Amino acid sequence: MPFTAKSGKFSASINTLTMGTGEKAIVLGGENVLPFYTFDAPIENAPKVGIEITDGGLEAEPECVKKYYEGCETIVDMAKKAATFEGVDFLSIHLEGGDPNGENKPTEELIKIVKEVAEAVDLPIVISGCKNVEKDSEIFAKASEVLSGKNAVMLAAKEENYKNVGASAGLAYKQIVGAESADDINLAKQLNVLLTQLGVDAKSIVMNVGTAAAGYGYEYVVSTMDRIKAAALQQGDATLQMPIITPVASETWGIKESIATEEDMPEWGDQEARGIDMEVETAAADLASGSNAVILKHPVSVATISKMIKALV
Amino acid sequence: MALKGLDIFKLSPKKNCKECGSPTCMAFSMKVAQGAVSIDACPYFSEDAKAAMSEATAPPMKTIKVGAGENEMVLGGETVLFRHEKTFVNKTRYAVDICSCMDDATIEAKVAELKHVDYERIGERMYVEMIDVEYDPASGADRYVEVVKKVAGEGRVLILDCQDVEVAKAALDVCKDAKPVLNGANAQNYEAMSKLATEAGVVLGVYGADENELFDTLAALEKLGNKNLVFNACTSSVKAAFATAVQFRKAAIKDSNRTCGYPSIVNVSKLAKGDSHLQAALLSLFTVKYGSIVIAEKISYAEALPLYGLRQNVFTDPQKPMKVEPGIYRINGADENSICLTTVDFALTYFVVSGELERSGVPCNLIINDAGGLSVLTSWAAGKFSSSSIAKFFQEQDIEGKIKCRKLCIPGKVAVLKGELEAKMPGWEIIVAPREAVQLVKFLKDMQ
Amino acid sequence: MGKFVVIGERLSTTAPIINKAFTERDPEPVLKRAEQQLKAGATYLDVNIGPAESDGEDLMKWAVTLLQSHFDNVPLALDTANKKAIEAGISVYNRAKGKPIVNSADAAGRIEYLDLAAANDAICIALCNGEGIAKDNDERMMYCQTLLERGMEHGMEAEDIWFDPLFLVVKGMQDKQMQILECIKMFSDMGLNSTGGLSNNSNGMPKAIRPIMDSALVAMAMMQGLTSAIVNPNDLRLMETIKSCDVFKGNTLYADSYLEI
Repeated sequence: MPFTAKSGKFSASINTLTMGTGEKAIVLGGENVLPFYTFDAPIENAPKVGIEITDGGLEAEPECVKKYYEGCETIVDMAKKAATFEGVDFLSIHLEGGDPNGENKPTEELIKIVKEVAEAVDLPIVISGCKNVEKDSEIFAKASEVLSGKNAVMLAAKEENYKNVGASAGLAYKQIVGAESADDINLAKQLNVLLTQLGVDAKSIVMNVGTAAAGYGYEYVVSTMDRIKAAALQQGDATLQMPIITPVASETWGIKESIATEEDMPEWGDQEARGIDMEVETAAADLASGSNAVILKHPVSVATISKMIKALV
Repeated sequence: MALKGLDIFKLSPKKNCKECGSPTCMAFSMKVAQGAVSIDACPYFSEDAKAAMSEATAPPMKTIKVGAGENEMVLGGETVLFRHEKTFVNKTRYAVDICSCMDDATIEAKVAELKHVDYERIGERMYVEMIDVEYDPASGADRYVEVVKKVAGEGRVLILDCQDVEVAKAALDVCKDAKPVLNGANAQNYEAMSKLATEAGVVLGVYGADENELFDTLAALEKLGNKNLVFNACTSSVKAAFATAVQFRKAAIKDSNRTCGYPSIVNVSKLAKGDSHLQAALLSLFTVKYGSIVIAEKISYAEALPLYGLRQNVFTDPQKPMKVEPGIYRINGADENSICLTTVDFALTYFVVSGELERSGVPCNLIINDAGGLSVLTSWAAGKFSSSSIAKFFQEQDIEGKIKCRKLCIPGKVAVLKGELEAKMPGWEIIVAPREAVQLVKFLKDMQ
Repeated sequence: MGKFVVIGERLSTTAPIINKAFTERDPEPVLKRAEQQLKAGATYLDVNIGPAESDGEDLMKWAVTLLQSHFDNVPLALDTANKKAIEAGISVYNRAKGKPIVNSADAAGRIEYLDLAAANDAICIALCNGEGIAKDNDERMMYCQTLLERGMEHGMEAEDIWFDPLFLVVKGMQDKQMQILECIKMFSDMGLNSTGGLSNNSNGMPKAIRPIMDSALVAMAMMQGLTSAIVNPNDLRLMETIKSCDVFKGNTLYADSYLEI
């Protein structure tokens, strides 16, 4: 008697969404099964991997990442280099220097970077904001304008600024609107509803439901994503069928497992390996729980996760 | 798992004879489902139907014990596919593999490396719990027994990865009291292996070339009466391994397929083929999705730190908050003159706050209150993080005797406590910190 | 658990304007009412063409095609005493958004409607009633068993038989109300789906009272496990209650805008 499994294919599916344009354009979502459950039904669009650079340039990168960008003098150089790393599907420009509580770089300066990078690489682009809701509204409006026609992702609109971001990124410039809800499943749904009520096309929304580094309250991440996928696929809830994009790097490269030097923690051993494995293990868990795209920092992490995805889909 | 009335009704004689005292078979089935009457009240329920029912009410996944004494550990026993539905009960266990083809020096180095990872995190010991000992026919049976003997005393549960019955018997002879896993049954040898495992009283691990062969061998072993089993996910590819682990768990829990209801072994060492970071990714993948034992080529701190944290998170009971031990946590080399901050013992709060404090680089004493493992606002609302509870905790722990600094920062969310604390804790300057942990770095730096 | 299934009841020959539109094959009033119901949150639309003895087949085909082509293959409940008309309706029915519902079988003269549903892979509403109103729940459950067995004999999945306890009018049968609610609990304990013409309870009551009674009953019935009802989706209070109960039951995820979607 052979093993017969009941199919776990659902009648509902995750929305498909195209990031970028031309040959390098990528498609997220479309699956009607749980993550990597190819035995239930084929997954047409494998999850995608993005690499993150910041407005801080090479100086802001962890020591162990710098060597991969050897010879890069500008952020544009870095972007070009990043585009050549194995497994990179898209580029995320993290404008963390815009934060008024931090460096408070003027919007114009940041947008100049965005513009130059976009002209230099043909990969799909994600603009990650500085977390300050007022400044982000401004950054996303301008970035949407200079990236007009590029199908870029603005990451992300929050409860406090979804109207501004939705209106500029979604309505005026037809970019992809990220909706950020930090492990709050009810807010995730509400933001999608509010954005669509504003007139943003549901198929142009991607969710950032948040992540934690592995070990740092990761149970909430698993359960949030499990429940979103259950609602989207099993209950057919159209307000949660948006693909999920997860910025992993910004969570994992700030915690002590990644930043403690070998001198600080001799028994922990090689710092670079720790940083990579923290990023890789967090990303693998995110993808297994439901992310359609992850944003990473270390080129080895990108190659590794890309390899894992290819082995699974 | 409880049976629905409908499942019982489908097996019932459907005669409506009323001899059981119920007006219809449907009413009777409903009462049986509720536990109000016994199935035996019906004289016409066939033995086959009763057997099918008792099978259906058995737990969906077997609970399997391996190891002995203080090394005994429990695998399986899960009742849900997703932790939010209830909780996962028995965490994934990790093994490192060695092989009888390796020389002593290599084996010693590998054992030393795996034993190096041994630490505590929120009350849980984090270490490599098992050693997988693979049999290499080329180096012979004696060498295998020698290697097994060599690692048997390392305080780890052994997995005897050996599909040769005679060799397995010899290896079992030297370690069976420690209750290793005999991981060696396949479609050809399962009868002999089952006999061996049963006689030694150990769990039998089952291999199959593919899902069908694996399933058939499990079914054949059950027929022999052996239900003390674990199965190996197919390692022909990552995709095949993931498919076995997920499909068997799903079949067991969702579709009541008991033959699939055993813990799994996933050998990621075989899947990653020497790519250590890919192996780290797979360790994580199979922790989230249904690996009961995961075998790796190596687990150093780089792999372990995220992995054990992840496992601790995934296997927490959603009903019970994770708590850290109350007390003083000295951060960034703080001493008795460093500034004090206080918050609750909810593990997530602790990790987020201590992470930010570490990032600030400012030496400080983080004083964790006993607040029932609840978050700041929840414990405040429940009266477990109040001015009197904080004052009492400081007294009980003799904080004033241990720390000279008299500056205490409280979470911004409970700013209302400032006045009361100043009244109850004379001599202390109470400072209201930001509402969110992410603002702590700036707050501490500005204060300096 | 899936969301509570609201079957909109307003496309019925008992409404003079719809009766006229059906007779004259006038699309406009039919589409207007259908749209109102769908906007208000109906999942299925009931198409009640009455006995339709003479032109039932043609009428049902016309109605099914009209509604499905205008509203993205909206799933329908085909409601008539004319079995041939139901079959004719199914012959042109598109299942993309859900199986058709045959409305309805009972345990007496209309038991063959189950056979019809089985033969056409349709859902069937099964009224737990014989001749006259069942005297107690023992009798209802006997009908339930008869219907279930009949359906399964013909190869239906139990989940495709939606049992109707027959909601009774409060004015005149107030003492039977708890019985009906207990009957729903029994269906639910058995793992069976259920539905019914819930607003029957408030027949004859002042217009302003009916939504209140209907809402209270739907909340109690959902607590007991009712999985669907044939109701007027344009009763705002009723729909708000159903959506709220769906949240409490975990059938849908809460969001602040839950009433608007």
